[in-house]
Amino acid sequence: MDIFLQQMVNGLTIGSLYALVALGYTMVYGVMRLINFAHGDLVAFSAFIGLSVYAQIFGESVTSLGAIIVVFALSALIVAFVGVLLERLAYRPLRTAPRLSAVVSALGAGLVIQNSVMLIWGPNMKIFPSNFFPATIWEIGGIVITFTQVMILGVSSVLMVGLYFFIHQTKIGTAIRAVAIDQDAAKLMGINVGRIIMIIFIIGSALGAVAGLFIGSYYRGITFDMGWMYGLNAFVAAIMGGIGNIPGAMLGGLLLGLFNAMITGYISTQWAETFTFVLLIAILVFRPTGILGETVAEKV
Amino acid sequence: MKRLFPKLTASLAVCSVLVSASVAATNVIKIGVQAPITGQYANEGQSIDNGVKLIVDQYNAKGGVLGKKIEVVTCDDQGTAQQAAICAKKLVNEGVKAVIGSYTSGATEAAQTTYNRAGVLQTSDGTSDSLIAHKYWTFFRNSFPNSAEADYTAKYFVDGKQYKKIVILSDYSSYSTDLADATIKALKAKNANIIYEGKIKSGSQNFTATLTKIKSMDPDVIYFSGYYTDGGLLRAQQIQLGIKADFVGGDSNDNPDYMKLAGESAKGTLLINVPTPDILPYDIAKTFLTDYKTKFNATPASIWSLMNVDGLRAILHVMEQTKSEDTKVIAEGLHQLKDFPGITGPVTFREDGERIGGGYMTYEVQADKSYKIVYQ
Repeated sequence: MDIFLQQMVNGLTIGSLYALVALGYTMVYGVMRLINFAHGDLVAFSAFIGLSVYAQIFGESVTSLGAIIVVFALSALIVAFVGVLLERLAYRPLRTAPRLSAVVSALGAGLVIQNSVMLIWGPNMKIFPSNFFPATIWEIGGIVITFTQVMILGVSSVLMVGLYFFIHQTKIGTAIRAVAIDQDAAKLMGINVGRIIMIIFIIGSALGAVAGLFIGSYYRGITFDMGWMYGLNAFVAAIMGGIGNIPGAMLGGLLLGLFNAMITGYISTQWAETFTFVLLIAILVFRPTGILGETVAEKV
Repeated sequence: MKRLFPKLTASLAVCSVLVSASVAATNVIKIGVQAPITGQYANEGQSIDNGVKLIVDQYNAKGGVLGKKIEVVTCDDQGTAQQAAICAKKLVNEGVKAVIGSYTSGATEAAQTTYNRAGVLQTSDGTSDSLIAHKYWTFFRNSFPNSAEADYTAKYFVDGKQYKKIVILSDYSSYSTDLADATIKALKAKNANIIYEGKIKSGSQNFTATLTKIKSMDPDVIYFSGYYTDGGLLRAQQIQLGIKADFVGGDSNDNPDYMKLAGESAKGTLLINVPTPDILPYDIAKTFLTDYKTKFNATPASIWSLMNVDGLRAILHVMEQTKSEDTKVIAEGLHQLKDFPGITGPVTFREDGERIGGGYMTYEVQADKSYKIVYQ
């Protein structure tokens, strides 16, 4: 039983990372009907930026709550800026173009980011310091939970709940939902669609940045091309939950993480990815709009 | 098509005349390096490239070999089979006489046939037993085979440590699978109790699911036959999950990046390898390490770079001895070498290109990341 619970903890941890990344995909899709394939590479970029910020300001040695908050905030700011830049340069000029052009542009932008990371930080694996988060470990009834895992679970839950309320309770959130339903009608109602899209990219990129830093501190080794793997998994999570649907992305991410952990733990490593895509196909066949996807189905 | 054909043959003929003319006219001997200069194993690949360039510079300073300068042509295979195949074609087209590398067995094997067809010598530190299975006359191994390490590991586990419950982990690479299989075979021959044989996906970073499963079996030891990039993380996650078992890493875990990835958890790890560069007892090794440090302001990534350098030194030595650039003659000469003084010990090749010898040791990683020999 404690093995099962341990697998749950492992799965939920990686699942919350997928969920954070998936939110970036799903929000951009919800508003722009565009799969932002560059998002995964933005996540990888954020891990490198975070490591550099940490090394530059704190010399990779200080572990304090203040230091960590500064690193997270600064990285999120930089990555959000790059996200906005990405939208300006790669997507805005194509907003009225056929959808395929934007998708190709997204793939191209992803390659540009990935190769820039390689040119700036080099092609070798970079390693996060082991003292980024305290190495504290709790053991509860045979289940091991690390400080980093608690941080990942806690911070991502807070961010996800916060985002949910932001979208549903605030004026900007209402505007975002309006734009997601009908851009032209929203424009006629006086909503500045360009600004809403910018906000979407800021939020999505900042969440991706948090995920990137967590990936770095949890797994320690980061490579310039790791964005593809996390991007792909998060993309699957977004589709599973129903792309364009924010709670769907969160649910999809958590489910995918759990699913992966269980397959790896109980069946075998080599089948984990295969099963992920079998699950994706099954969902697309039996529930094409994803688990929670009915709200956007009307538009597609 | 008919009219096009003579033109095509004519132009091809002109081309080939030009190519052969340019090859004949050059006054250099080209040596290829095929190594993972970028990617996961970049650390090792760059070190091989540096080592080769250092030796070549030293030769060129003395006037080269056979009165010609030596030129190094490096091709980055990223440690993957696909890139290795591309590199092999590229280096053959460049007209190299011999190729040093690659670091991984998979990349070495993918390039073997191309070099053999072109009559280009290849020497690699790849330890997979399958590398000599083709019996290519062009291939020479400058390291020791997996089966030698497997026999040593089995002896250490059964006679030395007396482990009762053994877990064997590998990744999907040709080297790692081969080493794990050889170790399992050697252990079974000694009636050892293997409770789990598993595989992890290299580069997937998250091994907690596999390790959680292993935890429930309460093993005495987890043996990992893969590379340092995964080994360091496996060790760190093992300690995190509170698995008490010993962690024993095969030779490819012996790398400074292993220590960085494992962090505090590196302490107590057991690593099985041939002697590390700094404890090699030979004068020639000490000179090489000093020269390397002076030139690159770093130490070689691991013993593997030095083995590749030995491969190069053996080839250049034979070239001088036989006064020939003909790879057939050089291959013949390499077979006749007997205890050629190498940086990593005497070099002697068997008929199938296997390097004879072994001399494995087990090191325990100390709190300050230094090594202590615990079994040999």
